[in-house]
Formats: sequence, structure tokens, C-alpha cells
Amino acid sequence: MKAPFSAYLESIEPALRSLVEILGKQYEYVSILSTDSVGFQLTLSQHSKSVTNQNRTTERGSVVRVYRGGRYSEFAFNEFDREKVAEKAAEISAELEKQFSLLELCACETYDTPVLDDEPIELFCEKEAEILPETADTAKLIDELMSVSDLGVKTIPGALDCQAGGSSTHISKLFLSRNRTMRQSYVYTEGMYAAFAPSKNGEMKMVYEGVSGLCGPEILFTIKDKIREAPKIMEDVQGSGKIVPGEYDVITAPDVTGLIAHEAFGHGVEMDMFVKGRALGADYIGQRVGSELVTMHEGALCAESVTGYAFDDEGTLAGDVTEIDHGILRTGICDALAAKRLGVRPTGNGKRENYAHKAYTRMTNTIFDSGSDSLDDMIASIKFGYLLAGSESGMEDPKHWGIQCIIGRGYEIKDGKLTGNVVSPIVMTGYVPDLLGNISMTSGDRCVFGTGACGKGHKEWVKVADGGPYLKTKARLG
Amino acid sequence: MFDVLKKKLEALGAAGWELTETEKRGWEFYFIRHQLDQNRVVETRTYSVKIYRSIEDGKYLGSASDVISPTMNDEEIDRRIASVWEQAALIRNPMYKLVSEPINIPDKNNPVDLEKISRDFIETFAGVAETSGEDINSYEIFVSSLSRRFLNSNGVAYSCVYPSSTIDLVVNARREGHEIELFRFITCGTCDREKLRKDVEDALRFGKDRLVAKNTPKLQSGAVVFSTADACEIYDYFLYQMNASLKIRKISSYEIGQPICDKFEGDILSVKAVSSLPNSSRDYPVDGEGSVIEDRYLIRDGIPENFYGTRQFAQYLGLEKSSNVQNAVFSGGKGDAASVRSGDYLEVVDFSDFQVDPMSGDIAGEIRLGYLCRGGKITPVTGGSISGSLPAAVSTMRFSKESVQYDTLMIPAVTRLENLRITGIAELED
Repeated sequence: MKAPFSAYLESIEPALRSLVEILGKQYEYVSILSTDSVGFQLTLSQHSKSVTNQNRTTERGSVVRVYRGGRYSEFAFNEFDREKVAEKAAEISAELEKQFSLLELCACETYDTPVLDDEPIELFCEKEAEILPETADTAKLIDELMSVSDLGVKTIPGALDCQAGGSSTHISKLFLSRNRTMRQSYVYTEGMYAAFAPSKNGEMKMVYEGVSGLCGPEILFTIKDKIREAPKIMEDVQGSGKIVPGEYDVITAPDVTGLIAHEAFGHGVEMDMFVKGRALGADYIGQRVGSELVTMHEGALCAESVTGYAFDDEGTLAGDVTEIDHGILRTGICDALAAKRLGVRPTGNGKRENYAHKAYTRMTNTIFDSGSDSLDDMIASIKFGYLLAGSESGMEDPKHWGIQCIIGRGYEIKDGKLTGNVVSPIVMTGYVPDLLGNISMTSGDRCVFGTGACGKGHKEWVKVADGGPYLKTKARLG
Repeated sequence: MFDVLKKKLEALGAAGWELTETEKRGWEFYFIRHQLDQNRVVETRTYSVKIYRSIEDGKYLGSASDVISPTMNDEEIDRRIASVWEQAALIRNPMYKLVSEPINIPDKNNPVDLEKISRDFIETFAGVAETSGEDINSYEIFVSSLSRRFLNSNGVAYSCVYPSSTIDLVVNARREGHEIELFRFITCGTCDREKLRKDVEDALRFGKDRLVAKNTPKLQSGAVVFSTADACEIYDYFLYQMNASLKIRKISSYEIGQPICDKFEGDILSVKAVSSLPNSSRDYPVDGEGSVIEDRYLIRDGIPENFYGTRQFAQYLGLEKSSNVQNAVFSGGKGDAASVRSGDYLEVVDFSDFQVDPMSGDIAGEIRLGYLCRGGKITPVTGGSISGSLPAAVSTMRFSKESVQYDTLMIPAVTRLENLRITGIAELED
């Protein structure tokens, strides 16, 4: 079935269009993004259960963007009476004028920027979903997630608790400007389990895995497949040792490959950072940043994932950008304002945490292309090193191309074979061009993961996905 | 809308309900260098409803929640509340009681002057002394007035208005064609001009040092000193361990009356939850469930004294009175900052992302700038990482008697952990 576009947004569209027209008499450019997204979040464990119809992406509200004299301003709100459009327009102007007065008082200069393009676009896109979150059988979902928790506690050695959860959102967004009317609706869902158990020396260990997709809550019924792998993973972690710090030959499992993609040339080529002079990537367009085996794509059209939208939060159509082509950095990703400032076309990567937040250049799907090697051959090629799995978190440093990845497990490889020894946890650090330049083998398969969220610095959390194949490279581990 | 929702909730005949109205008025300013990138106004209002149902004659308490938007019509609200009512019956948590004690402290409704606070921030940044070698790259200013009005089915009511501000700052330093950056994320109530100026100047000084930093040597292990906001990660671990939720889930091993480590060979930590800290971004005396936040020791002299948490988990632990913790003070250091910095150590003042896992206590962080002190010589270093286990380091942990406040936490100014793994890049020089 199609995920239907919000009836509420349909009902206020004429009034919002009037708001654009009224404000258009004072400003050179006016656009409105309005959202109405509904969903749920379920969290079940042996000790507590909760259900709420609020999650990270449920929202209802609007943000107006206006432009005058080289300056962009925004007003975000969630109280709107369609009978009082003129009053709302006056309120927006008055509040922004107060800010302009303060800026004048403080003698602030403006980063002079050209007006945004507003080429005509009409779009109506409703994507497929088997089940909608608002009509899902909550009782059935709770039973399923509780059975995951029960199975985890029963089968994972020493498990103290196993939390199972899921969230699903039916997103509806409406973008209006003088020349654009864009409407989209889609459903994405993610689920996870997290099991906790002590190691032999009493250290608390956690094993986590998730599922996600551009689909309805039906995907939550596949978490049980994941929890069946959990006992082995927990045993590995419980019996793990600490790594001897140093540089090693490594193979990254697809989830760790995705983390590298995200941190290395995801954040590294967000072009709003180019505007601020915060990214080294700006100086390396057309130059080699990885081995011949490295090709990387970014864009909402790259995969049917949690971030598979049709247009971004600035009314730019979704794209598929080849960032790195056989090791050569080709381009970055860009929101509309940064594109205007850099004199390039936006790539459909202008995203907001929600309607009340500013749009920045943000990632969508960031994915390494697969190659032709087999995992067995990759392992056989290593004299001493580690197979790294269990992506936990990462941090970028686009200015210096440093990278930090926290990884759950390292499986020791000696003389071309897995020894069964495991180290945990691992901090992988390094210089991005070295890490990508040393990629010497890539497997033929690839996976995309969408259970995480990405911040800009330490805030502005948005849904992203990343992935790729197994990669063989060299990395510094600690 | 508040009164409409109250009537609808009362009509349910539920075992209990909670209703919270939250209004946010925000002013935001984004600067590239000192030029305005964008200005923004945020005006939002939401209504959170939580409905509780008694199941099997009070053996269980079910609950579910939703957020009602002010643009929802009567029919939509009825549908949403009906949905929450049905969902609450599906959740079976052992019975606990909502807050019923009346709040005997006055509401806190002093208006927040967004314009003045914004001006303080803008002028402070404009007044920072920059040079051709060190300057501000960009900054984002978020100033909010948050208004919260709470009511539950037992008639417990409270309302407050408080300021909350956030700063996102990037500074640059450059020399001979090489440029580096440092990032700072600051949260607070309003603008403390002097403190902010010092924070920015410290960041500029660190930036200058990073330019001349050498690669971190392959030390393998050693003492690491923390003297910036990253140290909050260390102290947050102890707060998590005293959270009733983690105790009920058996993830916290802390026990009331049992020391947090076998033998104290360093300083002995005390942790006190407090209702208020000056200029905290969470300066309100009542938590989200209507519990009054009282000053109380969570850990005193290394011995857990009180767990804290939501009504549900606090009551499961048998705590009659409890609340969530908004602000906390950590103390117990015997020596001054200089004594904590004695001998050889690596003081890291800038990480890519320093983390202490709240459950396992695993420590990890890539070093962007550290000061390596060996044999009395101090060398700026960069690159590599530190890792280790906080539970293993507690017994020898040392921290200064001087304190410093980072928003909601008052922590020792200098903290030292022994025997962390240090993954370096350069060969170790004699």
C-alpha cells in the first residue's frame, strides 16, 4: 500500500500558500517546510516496558525561510490558524525585525549570499509500506519484542537483561515556495536488541544489533533472527582480551566499513564545511584520496533505507553523488545555501533534525562500492591482524582527516586463519587518506545499515545509513 | 488547550495521568567568522500526556504517552488519547504510585530576556582578542526561554520558566601555511561573559599549541590527566551507576553501604545531587514527574548512600522519596591541582570524541591535543588514542580539591586516571 500523505498538511496547504504570498511582498525569497509525521516507539525488557507515540522523528510544525538583502532568516512555529494567515505573517516579520534591530545594534555584518534558485518543481510522492505505524497492531508488536527479550535472556550466557525495541515513523512533508509544490510521504522503521552480561572478571559487556529499512513495522519481526546470533557474540566479548596498541592489517566487516565511510568521506565532504574553511576535502577535489579499489556513493537515492526520501528539507530533489571514483575525490555533498555560496548545484542533502532546527549539509546513504574478493581470500592474505566487527560510534575531523572509530570486537587472524582469540573494545584511529589508500581487497557483497543517528558536532541528530563490503586495509588500533 | 486536555484526561477514569505543557521561545544566530550566516526564531508549544491504567486489580500499572500538537482539532485529540488509553493496557509493569505530595515551593515564572542574553553572547564573541595566528572560525548561539507547566491526576502542579543556552564554537590557529581547528560545545543558562571569554581564549591558546604539537609517542600505558569539559564523561559514569533504573536492571553493581572499589589508594569520591547550580541550563527544582529535587548525597566518601531515579524504578528499589537528578556536585579531592599533576603524565585537553561507556565504564578517545609531561618537560602532542576501564581505575583515581562547573555538573578541576592504554604514533624518545 502507499503511505498516504498527511490530510492535515493537505488541509493547511492553501493557507500556507497565502502565507508565502503575503511574506513575498516583503522578502525576495520565501519558502515553507511543513511536517506532520506520526509514529511510535516501543521498549521492552525483563524489568520495564514502555510505549509512546513519540519518537525522534515524530513532529508537526512549520518553518518559514525568508531572504532579503543578502541575508537569510527563519521562523519555526507549530501554532497555526489557517483563518489568521495575515496575523501570522505579521508576527513572523515583527519577530525577525527584533532580531535585525539587535544585529544592527551590535554592528554585525552579514555573510552576503545570492538569492536561492526557485525553478518550478511539482512533486507528489507516496512510497510503499506494508503496515503503517499508526495502524499497526501494537499488542502483536509488543508480544514479538517481548519474546525477543525473553529469548535473549534465555540463550545469552549470563545475561542480566535484554532490551528489545522498535520505532517507526510515517513521515509527511510539504515544501512550498513561489514556484515549488512538493509533497512526500514514506515510512521508515528500525529495531534493535541490546543484551547485557558480565564477563568472567565482572566487567559489564553489551551486545547490540539492529534492523532497519524504508518500510513499515513488519521489519521488527526480523529482530529474532539477529538475537539468535547473540549468544556467540556475547561469548566472544566475555572471553575477550585487550589489544596491544599498534598498527595492524585489518579486515572491516560491512558495519565497520559503513562507519569508516560515514566518518571519513561523509563528514569530510559536507560542503557547508567548505564554506567555513573547515574541510581539507575542498583542496583535494580531483586528487587521489584512496586506492583504486575505493569508490563511494552518497545520496538519498543510493539505497532504500531509513533516509530514502524524495526531496530534502530545502525543496531540493534527492540525488546520488559519486564522491570518490576509483580513489579520486570527485565532489562533495551540499545543502542549498552552501551551494549558492560555493557556486555549485545542491545535491539534495539539506536536512533538519526537525522543523524547528536549521538545515545543514547532512549525509543520507554513504556507501562504499563492493569489489570482487572473497572474505576467505582476504583472511588468508593476512599474516597477523584482526577482523573488526561491531560498529559502536565514530567521530570525524574533516580539517585534518583524522578519524576515530569505536569498535566492539576484533577477531585475531594469524597466518591466514582466524584463531578464535578476540579483543574488545577497540579504538581505531588514523589518517583518512592512509586508511583508504591502504585498501587492498574488497569483498563482492555489501550491506547497508540504518539504525544509527548522526550529529553535526554534538547536536542536530538526523537519520543516516551507511555500509559497504568487507575491506582489507591497515589501521592503528588501541 | 491545557484545560481541554485536563478535562479529557479526568473523564477517562484512569489510574493516573500526567500532563505537561512545554513552551519554547528561541533566538538563534549563526556566524561564519563574525559575519551573520543566518538568524532564526523558534516558537513552539507542545502538550505531553501520559496515561496510567491499573491492571489485574492493581498488580500491574500500564502506561503510554503521546505528544499533542496545538493544531490538533478535537476529533484528533480524542483519537490520540483513545489510542494512548488502549496502549496503556498492553504494558504491564509492577505497580508503583505517581507523585501525590503537594509541592510547597513557589512557581518560578521570571521572564527570560532573549534579547539581552543574545546581545551578551554576540558582544562577547565580538570582543575576543584575535590575532593573525589564532581566531574564531564560526559560532552558533542558541538562546531559549523554556516554560514548563505540570499537572498530574493527584493534583500535583508546578510551573517554571528558565533560560537555556547553547554555544557551538570553532576556533582556528595557523602558522606557515598549516591551519588547525578546535571545537567547543558549551551549554549554560544565560551568558556569563567572563567565563565565556576565558573558554574562548583557552581554546585559542590550545589551538596555538596544537600547531607545534608532535606526534604522541608509543607510551603503551600511563597516567592520563583530564582538565577540560571532557572530564564530565568520567563523572557521569558514577551518576549512571547510582540510577535506580540501572540498578533494577542489574547493570549497576553498586550497593548501598558498600564501597565503590575494594581499596582506595587515591582520592575518595563523594557525589551530591543538588536542586540548583548557578547558571545551570537545568535550573528548576521539580522534575518531570512532579517530584521535588532535594539536595542529597548519592555517594558519600566512596560509599553509595542513595540511588535516584524516576518514580517507577525508585519505588521498585523501595525508595520512598526520590527524583531525577538535574545538577550534581562531585568532591573529595585532598590535594590541589598541582599535586594531581605531579610526576609523569599525559594531559589531554582536546579529544575527537571522549567517551566513557555509562554501563561498562570503558574509556576511549582520540587525542587531538595533549601535553606530555616526562621528567618535568612538557611537550604538546597530537594523534593516537587512550583507552581503558574506569571501574579498574577508580581505586587509584586522583582529583583536585579545586572545582570547576560545566553547566549541570560541578566537578574537580583536574582528574587523573592511572594505567590507561596510550596508543601513540611516534617512537618513544629517551
